[in-house]
Amino acid sequence: MKAAPRTPDTNPVVVACCRTAIGRAHADRGLFRHVRGDELAAAVLTAAVDLSGVDPATIDDVILGATQQRGEQGGNVARTAALLAGLPFSVAGATVNRLCGSGLEALARAAQAIVAQEERVLIAGGVEHMLHLPMDSAIDIHPRALARSSRGMLSMGLTAEQLAAEHRIPRRAQESYALESHRRAAAAADAGLFDDEIVAVLGHDESGALVEATRDQSIRGDTSLEAMAALEPVFLPRLGTVTAATSAPVSDGAAALVVMQETEARRQGLVPLARIVASAVAGVAPAAMGTGPVAATRKLLARTGLTAADIDLVELNEAFAAQAIHCIDALGLDAARVNVRGGSLAIGHPLGASGARIATTLLHALVADGKRLGLAAMCIGLGQGIAVLFERIES
Amino acid sequence: MPATGRESSTVTVERLEDGVLVLSFLVPGRRQNVITEAVLVDLAAALDAIDRGPPPRGLVVCSGLKGSFFAGADVARLEALAGTSPGDIERLCAAGRGLFARLSAAAWPSVAVIDGVCLGGGLELALACDFRIATTAAHTSLGLPEVKLGLLPGWGGTVRLARLIGPGPAVEFTAGGEPVDGRAAQLLGIVDGCVPAEEALVSARRLIECQIAQAGHVARRKRLAAPVGLAPEERAFLEAVVSTVILGRTGGHYPAPATILRTILAGAEADLAEAGRLESEAFAALSTGDVSRQLVRVFRLGERNRRDPGVGGGDAPSPDAEAAPVEHPAVVGAGIMGAGIAASHLRHGFALTLVDVNAETLERGAAGILEEAAWDRAARRADPARSLALAGRLRTAVDASALAGADLVIESVLERTDVKRRALAEIERVVGPDTVIATNTSTNPIANLATALTNPARFCGMHFFNPVRRMTLVEVVRGPETSDATIATAVAHAKRLSKCPVVVRDSPGFLVNRLLMPYLHESVEMLREGLDPQRIDRVARAFGMPMGPLELYDMIGLDTAFYAGLVLDGAFGDRIESSPVIPALVKSGRLGRKTGAGFYVYDESAGQRAKPARPDAGVLGLVAAYALPARETTDRTLADRLLLPVVLEATRVLDEGIVRDGRDIDLAVIHALGFPAFRGGVLAWADTLGAAEILRRLEPLADLGVRMHPTRRLLDVARGGGRFLSEASS
Repeated sequence: MKAAPRTPDTNPVVVACCRTAIGRAHADRGLFRHVRGDELAAAVLTAAVDLSGVDPATIDDVILGATQQRGEQGGNVARTAALLAGLPFSVAGATVNRLCGSGLEALARAAQAIVAQEERVLIAGGVEHMLHLPMDSAIDIHPRALARSSRGMLSMGLTAEQLAAEHRIPRRAQESYALESHRRAAAAADAGLFDDEIVAVLGHDESGALVEATRDQSIRGDTSLEAMAALEPVFLPRLGTVTAATSAPVSDGAAALVVMQETEARRQGLVPLARIVASAVAGVAPAAMGTGPVAATRKLLARTGLTAADIDLVELNEAFAAQAIHCIDALGLDAARVNVRGGSLAIGHPLGASGARIATTLLHALVADGKRLGLAAMCIGLGQGIAVLFERIES
Repeated sequence: MPATGRESSTVTVERLEDGVLVLSFLVPGRRQNVITEAVLVDLAAALDAIDRGPPPRGLVVCSGLKGSFFAGADVARLEALAGTSPGDIERLCAAGRGLFARLSAAAWPSVAVIDGVCLGGGLELALACDFRIATTAAHTSLGLPEVKLGLLPGWGGTVRLARLIGPGPAVEFTAGGEPVDGRAAQLLGIVDGCVPAEEALVSARRLIECQIAQAGHVARRKRLAAPVGLAPEERAFLEAVVSTVILGRTGGHYPAPATILRTILAGAEADLAEAGRLESEAFAALSTGDVSRQLVRVFRLGERNRRDPGVGGGDAPSPDAEAAPVEHPAVVGAGIMGAGIAASHLRHGFALTLVDVNAETLERGAAGILEEAAWDRAARRADPARSLALAGRLRTAVDASALAGADLVIESVLERTDVKRRALAEIERVVGPDTVIATNTSTNPIANLATALTNPARFCGMHFFNPVRRMTLVEVVRGPETSDATIATAVAHAKRLSKCPVVVRDSPGFLVNRLLMPYLHESVEMLREGLDPQRIDRVARAFGMPMGPLELYDMIGLDTAFYAGLVLDGAFGDRIESSPVIPALVKSGRLGRKTGAGFYVYDESAGQRAKPARPDAGVLGLVAAYALPARETTDRTLADRLLLPVVLEATRVLDEGIVRDGRDIDLAVIHALGFPAFRGGVLAWADTLGAAEILRRLEPLADLGVRMHPTRRLLDVARGGGRFLSEASS
């Protein structure tokens, strides 16, 4: 690997990670319709601290991703969630926004602080309550920011349609991909593979009674190509190929990872799961936002001197089936190694939380499957990509 | 399985198939569950029985009465504490606390299901359970309103709440006393879930299962047992900020909020037993103090008023006077008072006919009525949808014939005898034979207006106060020929408008203005002696009045006060004279707030909320023309001069039988004059001072004239060593 050699003092390691179940952002049926985003964030902070065994007094900072930083996610939700979770006052907090990449952004920042030998113990994560704070609300993009692009790029679905058309990804292929995502996710859930990463939070079932939310609400093990074929295209009525089945569901959820300097982890007697090897961000044309992971991943591979074939497991955020298919093709990934436990098409995509969610799922899969290198990558609205590389540490 | 052998047990316990016990409370013969002695005894017996039986999986605590978990402790019990020693009260508190503590000391988890009102002791009981689930139902509210009775929760509520939600929020919740709905309670952390009522039991059972799985109840008990001391800088900040807020709100007159702050802060740092002891000690101190005694008494006066039909002996309705339920009310006159009365009807769900001969007044009035009735306090504007809906319930007409179907007509036209007489005669011509006709007047004798009608038995006064939306008192005035049925109908109707009706006999100034005028008049006399107007008002406020007499003059309007004063001068000129200063102000164009100047100058742009900016230099010039010899006046003397004439007038009101019960005087001055509730009303205050002390204080004021001379009743009470109000009757 080309990256500068790291010592235990400059090596960022993850000692624990967890997430909530991902709820549907549905006003009448959503698991978390009566639970606030900051409460979900606080729940994963509390659980991450408990799971890791880290001494709370040693935590320097909490960095959370959130795309809608207002209302219950306003006023710096990283800080308010830390207060809500009962963390010591000495723990600082910052909320970051790289839209859909926010959760990975938080993680990359935490790693960088450790590499720079500034902070030593951080919690990185993300939160999004898309029911309470819809993704397109309270946003006012400057018209002149569209001068070199066009208004249509503000619709993520239209950028997916464009990718499908340009790269000839037929609707049927998108649906087959989505079906596989549901199949893998349902199998993983049924086999209890998410049990270690999901923190139970009290939510409400469809009749309104309290229920412990422990299963992702959007996973549909019983879906079929026939059922999917019946759906109308959402973004380009009649003409389009992208439907609700091949777009990630709007969701509510949170995830958090405890990231530490390796020396400090050992001092506290904690067992690192993996180290954060490198991260990269990249910009692409806003209309081609779905290709962001390709650019970011290539940058990261070049930085580390690795090739796609070296990566054991990939968590590629599935904003749209068309977008995921294109990235797999463009990067020459082995589909069998990508999203082995299903992806966001099935599990859901709570924007600011998804980066931390896929990192959490990736790390649990690396450990469970005994693999070494894992990559998490995401596309980002307005034309960006982000990628983070992990290496499991054998304990 | 019945928990106790008694037939009348207030507690039942049912075992569900999964081994969960459901303990429910139903207090027979009450509209709301209240925690009586029997409830405590039955709860103890039920817990004993549970302990003897096979251990349950968990316990659900709920109410068997829909819409009422527990409305609180029985207030009659609080009143009975009056003669109890602080030590005994502390022991009573400790016993209740100990009983509740059994709920969270058992081997199994407990969950309270809160559907409906859950206040005071009821919430303390719920807090003693490990977990709580509230329902989303509109009738569900949770609160600790003890502070409104000058108390704090005494069964461990402050201790548990502070540990559960943090000392700062606990202080805010307990010292504020305002209840919250289930969802807000969940956000505060008071309850663990908020679900539809029909899902509450299944939710409670699921909560029990998942808590057992994680030993969640054990963890919570451990957390709640530990102190929750704040960081020193947080504690200092909380104490400083909250103390200031409390002082601003209470003027230092109400000890409970500050006691709550102190007790919660101290308890938060202590172990459970010590925190409980501190709470009991504070409860005993507050409950044996004067302020709480008066506030509990005033609360009971309100309860008594709500039961009082307004006719007969006070507590029992007279059999021949049934109130006719009003279904088609009407208001005549769309001026300020008429509009206020009309808006109050709309807000309370009535459809209303509004008549005014002047089309322009009617249109303006109707617009104002809809805006007021549809006012959304949170949004600080009228809710357009609600306004539209209410518009369909307000029927306006310029012709009196629109009143034909009304069963109650409230006349509120211009306060001029000839205009009112004409309007009343016109109303009687068009309405049916059983329609009750009421006049809203402050100065016209009912007996005089009644002669305009052919059937005076159906006629009475209903004197509302301005602004109607805020002022809760209504004087229901009985003329010489008014029937019991008319009074009963007017009283029942006022209650449906959430008002507090007090029945008074027809006489000049009725009750409220007659007691108000001596207070107002004396302030002007002192001004003439050269006292600083701001000092006069400050002393009145320090006594506990919401505003000083000169500020109040400006609020009422000097012209209005002048006419009211004339009526009283005509009747009681020996002591309630009309001062020459008032007409002089009126002539100079100073009519009070409405003209931007009265005794004070107001910033007109600030509207009704303007603070009195400064005394008007011109006023002092006007007053100088009527200067009186200066006197040595301490703040104490100043307060005595304002308020002792009110006491004297109240004794005359008692002697003349203007009210049916002396307690109505106290209720009226609290509701209409803002007389401080912590003093219990004017007669309760007089009893606190004692007749002998009042005589002593009046003596040096005797040279001021009849208005400071003792009345016969004062002398009698002083001689007999008795009281103005016999507490036995309350």
